[in-house]
Amino acid sequence: MTNEGNDLPQATEHRLEELEHGLFTSDLSVNEFLLIKEVGFHPVGFVMGSSIYHTGIQTRKWSQSQELTKLTEAMYNARELAMTRMEEEAAELGADGVVGVRLDVNYYEWGKDAAEFIAVGTAVKAEDGISRLNKLGKPFTSDLSGQDFWTLRQTGYMPQGLVMGTCVYHIAHRGLGQTLGTTGQNVELPNFTQALYEARELAMTRMQDEATRLEATGIVGVRLEEKSHQWGSHTIEFLALGTAVTKTSDDVTLAKPTTIISLDN
Amino acid sequence: MADTPRDLPEAATRRFADGSFSSGLSVADFAACLDMGLEPVGLVQGFCAMQWGAFTMSGMGPGLNPFSGTQGGYVQNYQCPHGMVSNEHRSWGQNYQQNWIEDAWRTGFNNAYSRMMQEAQALGAHGVIGVIDSENPLADTGVVEFHLRGTAVTLRDLQAPSETPWSTFLAGQRLAKIFEAGYVPVSIVTSVASVRVWAYCVTEYLMEGTGGLFSNYGGAAEIVQVVDAQNTVRDLVRSRVRSSLHGDALHGAHLEVSVREFAKGDLELQSRLSGNRVRRFKDFDPLPVARPTVRLS
Repeated sequence: MTNEGNDLPQATEHRLEELEHGLFTSDLSVNEFLLIKEVGFHPVGFVMGSSIYHTGIQTRKWSQSQELTKLTEAMYNARELAMTRMEEEAAELGADGVVGVRLDVNYYEWGKDAAEFIAVGTAVKAEDGISRLNKLGKPFTSDLSGQDFWTLRQTGYMPQGLVMGTCVYHIAHRGLGQTLGTTGQNVELPNFTQALYEARELAMTRMQDEATRLEATGIVGVRLEEKSHQWGSHTIEFLALGTAVTKTSDDVTLAKPTTIISLDN
Repeated sequence: MADTPRDLPEAATRRFADGSFSSGLSVADFAACLDMGLEPVGLVQGFCAMQWGAFTMSGMGPGLNPFSGTQGGYVQNYQCPHGMVSNEHRSWGQNYQQNWIEDAWRTGFNNAYSRMMQEAQALGAHGVIGVIDSENPLADTGVVEFHLRGTAVTLRDLQAPSETPWSTFLAGQRLAKIFEAGYVPVSIVTSVASVRVWAYCVTEYLMEGTGGLFSNYGGAAEIVQVVDAQNTVRDLVRSRVRSSLHGDALHGAHLEVSVREFAKGDLELQSRLSGNRVRRFKDFDPLPVARPTVRLS
């Protein structure tokens, strides 16, 4: 991470210089490419950001469900770093945004408790020369496909950013007394219900807070993911992801949908 | 957590206080939703953690009397036709309905459903579309979590609802087709039935392909006890769903049957039927004549 003004590696500079001369790379399918062009954008390059993060440890109480705030912060910061570096690559290319963003986490044998967080996507630029940067003056990001980006634009909405919220939660082990107390019964466990309900809501609230900072009208395509990563089955990361959008026009140019009754399935 | 509007976690209240909407719909379904005059107001969810145990009594052995503790549900007994008395020979078998499993499942699902609908009501929604439900074991705690989520919507230019929101598994073009066919969604409908099979000698021999004279010498033959259980578990769930429709129609019914083997000759069959309860509001208008179209996807 040696360049001044941003923290991109030197190898990136050479690749981006080539892209600035007109050559573009993208992971868009042909249909996606055509639809991105159709709504007035041109792909300018395949961009990525990465962060290798040591997630550390946090003590947890064996019999208590609780949020592991240090792990929550680590998982959030690592993704944020990867996203920021991808946005910096896009900004270097003069892009207005990044579509088809994918966020992945990889673990390697050589790095105990370390994980690589990667964000990749295709940077796009508006062909009419009018800036489409988001409210924070950065390229917008979105996990929408080319088809979804086209459809969204037809309904008068514009992506502002890929927003996320996370909550790493430790699920209590059940003690002998608790287990014996309900032996032979299938009953609701209100403490578990409340704890896990709260964990999911926290992840979603944090995602919405990010959308609010972008002055978004709403979030589309929200996904709730749950992973234990390498922490064991009692520690779960609840991740909420979606694309924050703002309404930019009341004109809906989407063709009137036609009912299709498929004959093949 | 009681079944009242105060039943939601504090974080949910904070989330709803925020001005922006969230939606679990795909962009295509979101666009179709806007086209139908539906405005997404928020992703809503409900959750319930249930202690869950599968209680097996298969170790009771073949010498005991048939079980009779099914609380009035389906029971069918099978008696050995061979007149043999042996600890190795299962002299009786039984199929019986596991009411307690069905009741526990219903409690978990209904609690999660009612909490999701409370979230929708808190948002002033007319309905919830694109409902997704899941049940998963939680870590290794003997707990099953019921999780329902969907996108709460309001009908454009209509005043706030005065009654409980409607719900449907459908979204996007599938929901549009329902409207076009003259139906409106009322609610999602889901139920389960559970039947336990304790095999008697004939069933055991037929399932293993052993037993010579007692099992048609290993030839093809119907395993009556298991067939009875398969038919019954389907009938039970269908009649339960039918009784919850109150004269409305069921659209998009999906029936699943799973079989679990706890021990030799001890099976559990579970059926689950889901669908959308819909009500007719206008006559069906014939669709326009189809034209071939090219589609980029």
